[in-house]
Amino acid sequence: MNTKEFFALAKERGISEAQFQSSSSKSLSVTIYEGEVDNYQVDNTHSIIACGIYNGKFGSARSEKTTKDAFPFLVDGIIKSASLNEKVEAVSLFAGSEKYHKKNVLSKSLATTPVEKKIGLARYIEKRIREHGENLTQIEVTYSESEEQSEFCNSTGLKLRERGNYFVISASLGAIDGETVRTSYELAFGNELETFDPDEFVARVIKGVLSKIGASPCETGSYPTVLKNSVFSRLLRYFIGAMSSEEIQKKSSYLEGRLGDLVASRKLTVEERPLDKNIFFSFFDDEGVAKTNKTLIKRGRLQTYLYNRETAKKDGVSSTGNGSWAGSKMGISSSSIVVKPGKRPFAEMIAPIETGVYITELEGLGTGMNSRSGNFSCQAQGFLIKNGKLDRPLTLITISGNLISLLKDIVEIDSETELLIQGVSSPNVLIKKMPIGGI
Amino acid sequence: MISKTLALSVLNQALATGADAVELFLEDTVSESISLDNGKVETVGSKQTYGAGLRLMKGLQSVYGFTSDLSKKSLLNLASSLSASFEGTRLISVSSFKANKVKVINKITDHLLDVPAAEKIPFLKDLYEAARSVDERIVRVTDSFACDFTKTVVFYADSEIGSIIKNTEERGRISMMALAAENGKIETARESPGAYDGWSFFTKKIDAKSLAVKTAETAIKFLNAKECPSGRYPVVIGNGWGGVIFHEACGHSLEATATAKKMSVFADSIGKQIASPIVSAYDDGTIPNMWGSNNVDSEGRATQKNQLIKDGVCVGFLVDRFNARRLKMTPNGVSRRESYRYEPTSRMSNTYIAPGKDKAEDIIKDTKLGIYVTNFGGGSVNPPTGEFNFTATEAYIIRDGKIEEPVRGCTLIGSGKEVLMSIDRVADDLDFGVGQCGSVSGSVPVTVGQPTIRISEITVGGQGGKLE
Repeated sequence: MNTKEFFALAKERGISEAQFQSSSSKSLSVTIYEGEVDNYQVDNTHSIIACGIYNGKFGSARSEKTTKDAFPFLVDGIIKSASLNEKVEAVSLFAGSEKYHKKNVLSKSLATTPVEKKIGLARYIEKRIREHGENLTQIEVTYSESEEQSEFCNSTGLKLRERGNYFVISASLGAIDGETVRTSYELAFGNELETFDPDEFVARVIKGVLSKIGASPCETGSYPTVLKNSVFSRLLRYFIGAMSSEEIQKKSSYLEGRLGDLVASRKLTVEERPLDKNIFFSFFDDEGVAKTNKTLIKRGRLQTYLYNRETAKKDGVSSTGNGSWAGSKMGISSSSIVVKPGKRPFAEMIAPIETGVYITELEGLGTGMNSRSGNFSCQAQGFLIKNGKLDRPLTLITISGNLISLLKDIVEIDSETELLIQGVSSPNVLIKKMPIGGI
Repeated sequence: MISKTLALSVLNQALATGADAVELFLEDTVSESISLDNGKVETVGSKQTYGAGLRLMKGLQSVYGFTSDLSKKSLLNLASSLSASFEGTRLISVSSFKANKVKVINKITDHLLDVPAAEKIPFLKDLYEAARSVDERIVRVTDSFACDFTKTVVFYADSEIGSIIKNTEERGRISMMALAAENGKIETARESPGAYDGWSFFTKKIDAKSLAVKTAETAIKFLNAKECPSGRYPVVIGNGWGGVIFHEACGHSLEATATAKKMSVFADSIGKQIASPIVSAYDDGTIPNMWGSNNVDSEGRATQKNQLIKDGVCVGFLVDRFNARRLKMTPNGVSRRESYRYEPTSRMSNTYIAPGKDKAEDIIKDTKLGIYVTNFGGGSVNPPTGEFNFTATEAYIIRDGKIEEPVRGCTLIGSGKEVLMSIDRVADDLDFGVGQCGSVSGSVPVTVGQPTIRISEITVGGQGGKLE
């Protein structure tokens, strides 16, 4: 899209500084059900976020129109937004960081592999799962992929661009368990299809669902609790959300005034690593600031808050490259997160536990978490741990706690780290005790 | 948004390889949002959602594509790439369109986008003042007003004469959050009334100021509340937002999305007793100006009042056009989607348990030891197992028939099959609450409703140990 006309119109209407970000994506999704293509989806979409400074105030607007018809709407939106907002004077737009750590993460092989081969892969997985036996039911295998591109330019002359692609293969299925059905959902992702092992995936899917046969609740009580990496990473994301300098400045975070303090067990070290070469790679934020790898929690101590340019100016520090659109304002978010693994594998970590609980899935965390207080309570599934080993499967239990005390109560972190779809690379984590609701 | 001639070309291109039905959905939505943080306008956002979704059906297969580029080239490319996924020869050529008349059930005279933002801001500032002045411990209040106006056009053809259905939708919603803090403790409370209605709904039909005060009072009340106990207890669920339990425990499992492929505990339940005989339930997209209502669904079919449960017996599903094929049932005006980016499917609109004969106060009086929940954050369900959860944001202990101390951090979980059969009291005080429901076709506005009910026993999760 020719953005010159946008900048010209913005200038003509009195917008002193302007910024234009466009993102486009091309995606494909194919679902196989009972051996047939059950659903096939393609898309090609664009979206624009434009912002600028008008009479010293910041304003923004969005559109999905791909033609220059969108420009008057965007310019009007910026002026309306800037004229009515009552924030203090806007921070001027960014002229660029000294250095950008650009990498090419677009997989050519994924982009050029024929669609038929990708559908064939999904068919193969579905067939292999179906062949396993009649007690498996409701098998759906989906192959999806997306290629995304984002472009950034502003009136200071800063221009940035990044591209990436990835695939996600998922399987959902049920296993008949008497009068009920146990369901399971597994996925694999990446951007090099060559490294994906469909047979290993099928084995994982089948093992996952069959391990739930016979699940029931445990007794209500307080148990030593192991959180599976995917569960821990979801909880950790909320804790990192509380590091937002905006929330700190607005007195809405439990981490206010805690910089340098011990906020978690000394076993916990967490880094933000947006520059690691994986599908979550990103080298600039929504303000055009270069992203960097940095430590957030070092041996339990809080190392930094997360800043955009506006909140950084307020605290007299530099942006940490965490500026991120939150609706129509520049908010704060984190990129790829890495939890430092421990030394012992899972089996050794749980060996000393006489009676405990291993939580593998959470349901309803979105509503069960109060992100401001850190209190949470939600539905969970997992396994009972008896005499140092996984015992029977658990379902219809609840898990509750508070994020601050949960992180302080970390007893051990195992060595079995995994990069998860949440953009977190995490091992499994043992918590001293957690309240579990059951029967 | 596009000419009939172009629509005709797109549909015919899509039908070239033997699809037996085709639907082109066009959307142009303008949204405005105004957010205040501690009484100061923080953002005024404008957004335009614009694009097309194209769906082809052939027997029990469907293919879907969408684009934000409505040029001839882009739409014909989309039609070609989707039709290429079928192998066959043309069954249908569309020659013309007939316009279907849309009955307007949601009449609005004072359109939300016609009210200048400068007029909405003082209204929001008043709400802030009302909430903030409740107590010094209210350290932060955010409130916002978001509204959108959507124009849609559906071109549909399964024979030579296609149909055109034009519709408009308009909704607005206030969101208020009060944050109370004391000695390092933080608690929040929220209220978010919304409607498919005009500006006078917010300024006259509801008392938004009282709601702002209530929000702040709730945050204060729960700041020092004890943690909710855990275990299995009788639970009385208050009217209005309490209906989220039916939405999760049963509603999703009656959507054809789940029942068509037997991915629901209620897949074979029509004609069977699935709830206590005192329970009857409906999904009704025709209630004028209600948040979840619409003139037509996303396929262009008129919305209707669908009974789902009659005296405990399952009497119907929510059926969209595509899943109707597998179920061999008639679609009933419930196909919905967040935007053109989603293929539509069966979804709830305004779903509620019908009023019974009991009195709410008698239900409390007759409960010796249990939990009373009156407000909710939302929940989720896994339809194949029927296992669901929902979070109570306002809960109290009931002892000897009296409502006593508030408790926080409360989650209720159960299986739909068991819980519906465990409803042992239904009061006569039906009320509604509004929310957003997320599922395969995106996030759509829904209303949940119920009178006060009691569940004889359900699992409660919290950090507070056993209930005494």
